[in-house]
Amino acid sequence: MSDPLHTLLCEKLGIEYPIVAFTHCKDVAVAVINAGGFAVLGEAMHPPEHIRADIRWIRERIGDKKFGIDLVLPASVEEERTVEELMAMIPKESRDFEQQIKAKYDVPDPKEAPDLYTWGGLDQARALAQLEVVFEENVPVFASGLGSPKFLLERAHAQGMMVWGLVGTPRQAQKQIDAGVDCIIAQGFDAAGHTGQIGTLSIVPQVVDLAEQRGIPVLAAGGITTGRHLAATLALGASGVWTGSLWLASRESDLNQPLKERLLECEATDTVYSNCISGYTMRTTRCPWHDEWLGPDAPPVLKAPLQMMLSSDYIQGSLDYQRKDLMTEAAGQGIHYVTEMKPARQILSDIVEEALDVFDRFASDDDD
Amino acid sequence: MTTEQGPDAPFVSGFNADYRGRRAECEGGAPIAETKYAGRQFFVGTLTGDYRDFNFGGSPWRWYLLAELTQKPEAYSRDAVWCEEESLTLMDN
Repeated sequence: MSDPLHTLLCEKLGIEYPIVAFTHCKDVAVAVINAGGFAVLGEAMHPPEHIRADIRWIRERIGDKKFGIDLVLPASVEEERTVEELMAMIPKESRDFEQQIKAKYDVPDPKEAPDLYTWGGLDQARALAQLEVVFEENVPVFASGLGSPKFLLERAHAQGMMVWGLVGTPRQAQKQIDAGVDCIIAQGFDAAGHTGQIGTLSIVPQVVDLAEQRGIPVLAAGGITTGRHLAATLALGASGVWTGSLWLASRESDLNQPLKERLLECEATDTVYSNCISGYTMRTTRCPWHDEWLGPDAPPVLKAPLQMMLSSDYIQGSLDYQRKDLMTEAAGQGIHYVTEMKPARQILSDIVEEALDVFDRFASDDDD
Repeated sequence: MTTEQGPDAPFVSGFNADYRGRRAECEGGAPIAETKYAGRQFFVGTLTGDYRDFNFGGSPWRWYLLAELTQKPEAYSRDAVWCEEESLTLMDN
């Protein structure tokens, strides 16, 4: 039997295992790449020069191995307002409710004003400035976490970069395949953060059906944290897995210690798909903020970004004072299987070993 | 076509008469301010035909104005939204 883990993705990237870590932590990225996997660093919230520094930092530690950078390209935008204008739009009823929550749970004020208050805008111009650095640094893989990367494909391919697109529906996948992306990440409802409405087991084979005729690898995303998940998604036709929550509580992860401990305790049912954090629906770990906003006395959730402005003091206060009982983080339903704080290298090897065991079991069943 | 100048308008504005009055869906979304998160948003409305082209080398990054929204996120207060061309699907095709 040939190596079931050596997929088209491995061929294209020159990697040993078809496991992609999506992470906001440079140390995790480097550890996974040097252990034989692949990593994409999420840089959506960083200014251009920060992104450039991170790219160079990673390169110094992985040699000529490939890596990726993820940005969240917008797909729809409303006209911008200033932070002051937005703050003035938050109704008193919502402000009062926020204060009630803070009093009820003794939520400390943040040590400093959250970064939100220095928000410089999230329009197309900011995305283009971030992209310019990624292209100047000739990053091997650019991944678009939301909007279509069609407009940058010609330039990327001209300089030898690969472009990946993350989708939540088969229709989005078809458009990106037609545009010429090099890899599709099919993200299911089980995932952390913003997701589509289709479950991972349903969306992956649909996207594989669309992509395989063009020889485009598909990564399965959403709830994948074990070798059994890896084996299952390869059986669905995926060329690998895109994993995020898996690395949050790793030794290398730069999340603070109480938050890691909280994540290790979480079951799948401790993740909530709600708009109460930001105004957008997203999957995060349940905390008192969710409980209160889901209650019968809660006012209506505000539109984005107003709800995020309302929740930011609570979130920052919980982090600044390491209040595990208050903390929340984006995490997928697969968090159930993240139960130990292990080095990234061991996480990777455990998944590989478990996936190979699955394939061996099927192979031995065949022999019988 | 008109050209906007200056740092506040780094795009070229234009009008596509073929799109004016066409019904469309937008599988949109955007990053959430100063966080590592983003959110998907779905809109249905009527295209005005107005567009904005941002330049990144090669083909333009084109955005169309979708107005008279009949479907939008519950918390979205505006009557129109700029949609990236690839996020749009014309409904009368």
